[in-house]
This record gives sequence, C-alpha cells and structure tokens, in this order.
Amino acid sequence: MATNAIDQTRRMLSLVTYLRERPGAHVQDVARAFGITEDELISDLDVLPMCGTSFRGGDLLDIDTDGDRIWWHNPDDVAEPLRLAADEATALLVAARAVATLPGLRESDRQALVRATAKLETAAGEVGAASSRLSVTFESEGGVFADVDRAISERRRLWLRYYSPARDELTEREVDPIRLFAVGHTYMEGWCRLTEARRTFRLDRVAEIRLLDAPSAPPELELRDLSEGLVQPAAEDPEVVIEVGPGGRWVAEYYPHDSAEEMPDGGLRITLRTPDPASLRRLALRLGGEGRITSPPELAESARLAAREALAVYDGAL
Amino acid sequence: MAIAKAERLMNLALCLLGTRRPLSKRELRGSIEAYLEAGSDDSFNRMFERDKDDLRELGLIIETVENLDGDTGYLARRDSNRLPPITLDAEEAAALGLAAKVWQQARLAGAASGALQKLRAAGMPEAEDAYEVHSALEPRIPVHEAAFEPLMLACRDRRPVTFDYRKGNSARPGQRQVEPWTLECWRGHWYLAGWDRDRGAERVFRLSRISGRVRSRAGAFTAPVPDAVTVRETVESWAGETATRTARIRLRTGSGYPLRSRAVSVRELGDGWDELEIPYGHGLDAWLVEFGPDVIVTEPADLRADVMDRLRAVAKD
Repeated sequence: MATNAIDQTRRMLSLVTYLRERPGAHVQDVARAFGITEDELISDLDVLPMCGTSFRGGDLLDIDTDGDRIWWHNPDDVAEPLRLAADEATALLVAARAVATLPGLRESDRQALVRATAKLETAAGEVGAASSRLSVTFESEGGVFADVDRAISERRRLWLRYYSPARDELTEREVDPIRLFAVGHTYMEGWCRLTEARRTFRLDRVAEIRLLDAPSAPPELELRDLSEGLVQPAAEDPEVVIEVGPGGRWVAEYYPHDSAEEMPDGGLRITLRTPDPASLRRLALRLGGEGRITSPPELAESARLAAREALAVYDGAL
Repeated sequence: MAIAKAERLMNLALCLLGTRRPLSKRELRGSIEAYLEAGSDDSFNRMFERDKDDLRELGLIIETVENLDGDTGYLARRDSNRLPPITLDAEEAAALGLAAKVWQQARLAGAASGALQKLRAAGMPEAEDAYEVHSALEPRIPVHEAAFEPLMLACRDRRPVTFDYRKGNSARPGQRQVEPWTLECWRGHWYLAGWDRDRGAERVFRLSRISGRVRSRAGAFTAPVPDAVTVRETVESWAGETATRTARIRLRTGSGYPLRSRAVSVRELGDGWDELEIPYGHGLDAWLVEFGPDVIVTEPADLRADVMDRLRAVAKD
C-alpha cells in the first residue's frame, strides 16, 4: 500500500466518516475494512488529532485509541461521505468492466459486477465519463478456463494436452492446479506431475483438458510475485546474445533481457538468459536477414541447419 | 520538524469543508499550523496553490468566491462534495473488491483503493470472506510503460502532447505531436489512439515504443474526438489477424499444432505430410519460417518466395 501524502489524505478523509458511524470500533476491523495494515491505521490515528474542522482554531478532532479500540469524542458532521474523484471512478470502473469481460468469470460474480458498475456510474456522475478513455481487454479461453476454475475449487487433478512452442510438440501431462491469473493472456500456475516442478501454462496453448477424479495435491509453495514479470530467468541460466538490425528491434520488446546495446547501424545487441536456449531456434529462423544469434554458437548452427534442410525440401518437393 | 504534508492537506480539506462562508487565504493561513510555519508569503502561496490542486485531484470541488472587498475566498460546499446515495449488497461489494485489486500501477491502484474506502465509509458492506465468494481467478493489469501515467492524465484532461516515437522498423525515434484520445490494453500491451497533428490523421501508438518524456502542450484539441475509437482493430491488423485470403501449405504429420488449430481444412497426404489451407494475413511468412523444415508453402507464389528468401538469409549466415 502506497504511503504517499495524497493516498494518506484520501484515506483519512474516509476514515473520519467511517469512525463517526462506529464509536469504539476495533483497530483490527477498521484496518481490514480499509485494506491497510494496523500500523498504517495507527499512523493515521496519530495525525488525525492534529487536524481541525474549523479555521477558528482549538477545534481539533478528538480521536484517540488504546491500540485496540478507537474513540472519537467530538464527532462532527463535517464527516460526510465524499464524492468520487475522476481518477478513483476511472480506476474502479475500468477494472470492473475489464473483469466483467473475462469469459471464465462465474456468472453470479459477473452479474454482481455488472450491477455494481451501473450503481457506481450513477454515483460517480460526470467524473465517471473520463473512464471511457481507458480500456482493458483480457484474452481468455472460455472452455478451458471453466475447467481449470472448477478443478481449483473442487481440488482435483487435471489432464492436459499442452502445446510447447519451443519444441513444436504436444505433450500429455497431469497437473495439480494452484491458481489462475490474467496478465494479457490467461495462465494457470500448477504443479506438473510429469516434470515434478512448478509450471505456468498459457490457456490458449491447451489443446485438450479433462478433470480427473484424483485429488489435486500440490506441494506447499510460496506464490510467485507476478509484479516482477512472468519470465524470471535464474542467474545460472545460459546466456544468449542476439544481434538485430533496425527491423529486428521488436525482439527487445517481446523478450525480457538483461541488456540491449545500441549498434551503429541502428540495430541492437541483446543479451538475455533462458533455461532452454534451444527454444530460441524459432526466433533465429523468424528473424531471417534482420538478425542473428551470435552466442551460443550451437544455437546459431542449429538454425542454419534447419533453414538448409527446409530449402532442400523445397528443391526436392516441387 | 516540518509538518507532514498529509496533515496539512487534511487540515485544509477540513477547514474548507467545515466552513459555511468563503475563507480568505489570510484566514486559512492563520488557522493551519503548517501555513503559519511557512516562511515567506511566496512559499506560502506556492504551497497553498499546490495543496488546492492536490485536493482537487482527490475529488474535492473547491469554489473560489470574490467578496465585497475584492478579496478571494475559498470553500468546499457540502452538497456539491457529497457522494450521492449508493447501496451495494455484499456480493456487489465483493466484486468491486476483486476489481480494485487488478491494477499494477501505483496511481491507479491508489485511486481504486481510495474509491473503495469512500464507498466503505458510505456504508458498503464487507465481504464475509473474499476468497470464498470469488472465482479462483487473479486478473492483473500490467503497466510497465513509463509513458502510461502522463498519457492517462492527458487523455483525461484532453491535453495535446508531444513525444519521441520509434516506428517498428526504424532505428531512430521521431517526434510526434498527438491529441490523445484513449488508451487500451490488449494482450498485456498498452496502445494509445489519437490524432497525429503532423500527419493529419488518426494513429495508434504502442506505448513501449515511446522514448523519453511525454510533454504536455498548451491549447485545446483541434480535431473532433470520435465517439468510438478502434484501437483493437488496428492492432489486430498489425498482428496479421485480419486475413484477406488463404494459403496452402504442407505440414509434417504431428507438428505445427497452432497452424492446425487455425486451419480452414486439413488433408492427410499419407507420406508423412498433411496439406492445410490456412488464413493468409500480414506476418504469415515470418511465422511459417519458425517451423523450419516442417512447413513447405505450396501457394500463393508470393508467400512461397517470401518464406524461401527468409530461409536463405538464415542458411547463408
């Protein structure tokens, strides 16, 4: 939770309204209702007695706490619920509309969201209009999504036929699902029983899915922090160096990398790490004349061989 | 020790909300400790102007009223600042709680929790247990692009901007003057649609290709803002998803699942190859080359030639 002055002021204004209605409220309950830690709440409660409701001085908020309960001894009617700001209305409305479009969302949740959005639009009034200037679409694979969602809530194992672009092959595997998340595409994180490891599966690459009767029993895992990005290469992963011309600069936008050095011809020298360099053969082929892999040499060689083999098929076939 | 900004803002807000008549700057300065401590008139004036702007960002409507002596007074009327009545049930409250968590951008995440807190203060019920009520989904809206926040504000306030933009295939960025209309996130990337003043046409920009600072320009929009903006259609056509014709290819048995799943038709040839008819849009050549010796283009001839050219470029390296 951000602790900047704007957010704190916003929160304290809502806090006085909330406290007026609830004399003797418990610190724990108020912190939960506001989505903040008890320490954050206590620091707000330290500031509030320094704040006044009138310019004539001496009229400060007499709010205090014993660390467990909160008392406001001179509640004032200044504490009315405040209208939404443009950014507040936008942040909540855009998010609500985006989440409502997720094909996998439970119908009852979707209906609740649609109802809430309509009420919010009315309450926001004209400041809600700016929210149309921002929009988010989640990609989602409805049928697969529903099966994964059900497997998670019923704690059941899944059987998948899953496409791996790195190998251009479909593999069959059993997975104990852990969670679903959407960052651009929709993904399932799960414990793969084939590799006995944590894996992330992109739902649009699931060719076939079945719920098994076996219970899902993933080992206790710490959930990954997704704000760091989906691809988090390890320090010991092999390094790959790709040199691209101006036409291949898009590589730096699509592949998380350690460095992208400007080249004199307007191209880039990109260094990245991946647990499986062979998976980049596709990239080397795709780049064609717009770039090449300079390290590791085996990878560059395998792309060359694949291209020669393909040309030989063209020569022989037709 | 200087008085914390949050305390100063809170005092100003309460004074303006608490008063029945406009208060002059002098009166406000006399009753808010942080302003008394501000050394010079200049530094007080700057602080006061900034604070008013900050409170307006938080949604407060602050009126400026001239009194009979020509003095300017300020107040935030209760009736114009009050949230209209809104009644949400527990399910609706839980659904908004899920939505408020999707932003991975500090400003919007703060604004979304601020909105929830205002609704909570206005009596929105709390969910019994958010995890029981909800689907297992954790939607997240990523915002990695530095240009996002200034462009969001410019779209909101309808302010023209300039920024350096690098087109897909060019090495050097060029300056663009744009009237920004909307921002859209699709497949995890943000795009801006707006009016490109130099080109005199609607354009879509990918935020990750903007370098350096986004600068605001004075003045109003010169072109009308359309009712509906088609960011997604434009991006889809870049991505080759609006196919105009079809291509015939041979694909080795068992390989190329994504090509098969989009195919219009699949025929087994029996010699380890299948024949597919697939949609042919922009970018298909680059995609087919990825499959190396497992894909052979039969027709059209221009696609076949493009794919072979790309293969030759890799083969001779």
